[in-house]
Amino acid sequence: MTNLIAEAPFKDNPAAPAYGTGERADRLKATRHGGKLVNDYWADLFAAKQEGRKVVWYNGTHIPPFFQAHGLAWVHGEAWSAYLAAKHGEAPAQKAGEARGYDRELCSYARTHLGQAILSIKAAQEGVAGGADDARSLTMAKLPMPDMIVNAYPYCSSGQQWDDMVYRMFGKKIPIFNVSVPLLWGGRKDAGYLSGSEWEERSDYVSKQLRALAAFLEENTGRKFDWDRLSEAMSYIKRAAELRLECFDLCEARPAPATFFDWIASIAHLNFMPGTQAIVDYFQMLRDEIAGRVARGEGAVKNEKYRLFFDGMMNWNRVGWLADKFASVGASVVAGRYTHMAFWQEPGLIDVNDPVRGMAQNYLICPNNHGAPIMIEQINRLCDKFAVDGLVMHVSRPCRGMTNQQFLIADAAKRRGRQSLFFEGDVADDSFYKDELLNTRLEAMIESMDAQRRAA
Amino acid sequence: MRQALQRFEAVCDAPLAYARALKAESGRRIIGVLPMQFPLELAHAAGALPVILQEDREPITVGQSQVFTFYCGYNRSLTDQLMRGEFDCLDAVLFGDHCVQLLATADVIRAHLPNTPILFNQLISSLAAPWAMEETRNTFRQLWSELEELIGRPIAAADAARSIRLYNRDRQLMRAAFDLRREGRLNLTGRQMQLIVKSGMIMDVEAHIALLEEIVGAAAPTPAPETGVRVYLSGHYCQAPKPEILDVIEECGGHIVDDDLYHGFRFISTDMDETLEPVEALARWYLERNLRAPCATLSDERADWDDFLLDAVGKARAQGLIILQVKYCEPHMYYYPEIKEAFDQRAIPHLLIETEHEQMPLEALKTRVETFLEIARRRAA
Ligand code: SF4
Ligand code: SF4
Repeated sequence: MTNLIAEAPFKDNPAAPAYGTGERADRLKATRHGGKLVNDYWADLFAAKQEGRKVVWYNGTHIPPFFQAHGLAWVHGEAWSAYLAAKHGEAPAQKAGEARGYDRELCSYARTHLGQAILSIKAAQEGVAGGADDARSLTMAKLPMPDMIVNAYPYCSSGQQWDDMVYRMFGKKIPIFNVSVPLLWGGRKDAGYLSGSEWEERSDYVSKQLRALAAFLEENTGRKFDWDRLSEAMSYIKRAAELRLECFDLCEARPAPATFFDWIASIAHLNFMPGTQAIVDYFQMLRDEIAGRVARGEGAVKNEKYRLFFDGMMNWNRVGWLADKFASVGASVVAGRYTHMAFWQEPGLIDVNDPVRGMAQNYLICPNNHGAPIMIEQINRLCDKFAVDGLVMHVSRPCRGMTNQQFLIADAAKRRGRQSLFFEGDVADDSFYKDELLNTRLEAMIESMDAQRRAA
Repeated sequence: MRQALQRFEAVCDAPLAYARALKAESGRRIIGVLPMQFPLELAHAAGALPVILQEDREPITVGQSQVFTFYCGYNRSLTDQLMRGEFDCLDAVLFGDHCVQLLATADVIRAHLPNTPILFNQLISSLAAPWAMEETRNTFRQLWSELEELIGRPIAAADAARSIRLYNRDRQLMRAAFDLRREGRLNLTGRQMQLIVKSGMIMDVEAHIALLEEIVGAAAPTPAPETGVRVYLSGHYCQAPKPEILDVIEECGGHIVDDDLYHGFRFISTDMDETLEPVEALARWYLERNLRAPCATLSDERADWDDFLLDAVGKARAQGLIILQVKYCEPHMYYYPEIKEAFDQRAIPHLLIETEHEQMPLEALKTRVETFLEIARRRAA
């Protein structure tokens, strides 16, 4: 599926893009605090081995509460690749991947992470830390090696294969556990969002596997799994997720007090960071700041003229760049599939006393794991809720997981009178991004939104 | 034999025309099946003609409105055929495999054929999981009941067992053709071998068996003298490699002795156990065939495609391996470095050829293949 980080949000953008009025997005202050929490997470991870904690490499959905409950450290492969990309440090890993024969058309998260594994294995074999002399290699050298691998990737076959390749690269010696999160195709007569026989069966199926995951962790550590600690972690996560939804609701206001790019900067906290009071406090800070903006009538974008929906994965090399680009034409990107349809977006399903089934259900509804009709229904619901004028489709080139239904999404938007634009880019390989194309298409979309308004 | 091959060629050139004619004649439903793991037996037991949907040769035009250019040729071609109305003849579509790109096509088909039932039952892709067997059984049970709903009557276990027997027979004959070719007793070109398997994905199974019997029956009692560099072909998921590519390999002096292509050994590698109850037989078949021809779309600790290939190349006494990779085929692209390393380590010559839906520059390909075969010949000397 998707994912994300942002060590220091919007840092990639020393100068605003030369486009539009030059106005820049007004970032939320709380995200600075959020950035510090993310840094703390990475620092803690880097120290894991010295502190005697075992390390799990995993990919996919929000599995970490299981690792947290069991006292493990964890590396989310996508997060790590995004972390390197956001720091512009992805190149050495991607080069190592390319040298082994991984094609540029493969998922760049996977290529980066596999490249990292190649370099880490080489470094371990040669007894040196990383490639040593440049700062990027030093960052990479800090990543602890895996003791276990867990894959829990909804929808995308790349996600599963990527971990399979990591497993093979380590000589099939590190134990691996696969959680199958099947697609919710939604083809049966009783199918609906969070309802129907397929939904119930799939919820049971994933729950069963999650219990087996706990047994796998026990087996590979020789310790009993602590279900109370899982409940405790989930109680914080549930609360933080509820606060995030309150924030979203506040963004129905005009002008919108925060944008998609602010939510991008706070994905890490619910995606892979530990469930503690710290994330609850962070989302409370966000909520308070946003409520303050609403009360004062302040928008994240000055002179908000258009409200847009962002579809597709995030381009981690360009977070700030894109935030400013849209702000500079008075467009507030108020919601997105990647942010609003993921990361514990249905906290109500979680019973903290017995959280497994609700967790399984949140894993099942990752933003690309619905068949198109139900997915589109959810996107339409969000577009209506936030009074969206148009859709921005980020075609994250080597990520078929998120591009798969984009034509159908745009067609459905058109039927409801909403414009859409497509631009190519990628999650962690900046070479796919073409600024000129986006500028031209954005200009064209704005013209047609204006024309539509004049005609109304 | 010539006539049988001509018949196969006609079917392979226009699979849906064949299906439409058969439907008009017999009233049988046509069920389109997507590759690569789904069995045809149950749809056949439901009285339908199951047809594995094939890439066609038309350029992608109207399909461009629904599929990006960076999807594999198979998905792009399917989308284009859909938008051209080619699939209007289908009474149902059945899949699903574990390739993310195919999932896109599934949704596009559903959106554009709203009245055609899509029997989507995703098979587990993590084959070594302790629950893989139970989950696979459940998937086939669900498919069974959806097919019954489609045809409005129960499917008898005896009918399923009969379909299993027929498809086993068909696979056995195709494997016999493979064996005889490898032994040099059946002189079949790569193009002809492809016709045999591809038509088996399309034709009525009994008609296919009858023609195949003719072909296998034409085998010579003793092997013909060997010519050319013995080559093993690997890869090419979901769609048949363009026959011109196979011709080039042979024209340059290659002698294709075996393969694990989907339109080749992969499709026919495994039979179903006729002594088991049908759902059990289907489930075992699904889980076992990955051991006989490992597939990169599946995650399976028990199987290694690279080891399988080393072994298969050795058994076929091939002097080199030619890997045919569909452009943008992610599962294959992920696995390729493992194969490359394994063959490099053993100094077995190998060549990667990336294929495209659009016309390929055959002259440039020829030069590469010639050089490769020369290296393979010298290494073997
Ligand atoms: S291709 Fe996209 S959805 Fe698939 S693993 Fe990569 S980032 Fe995730
Ligand atoms: S497995 Fe490869 S050839 Fe088949 S649909 Fe997927 S990408 Fe295309």
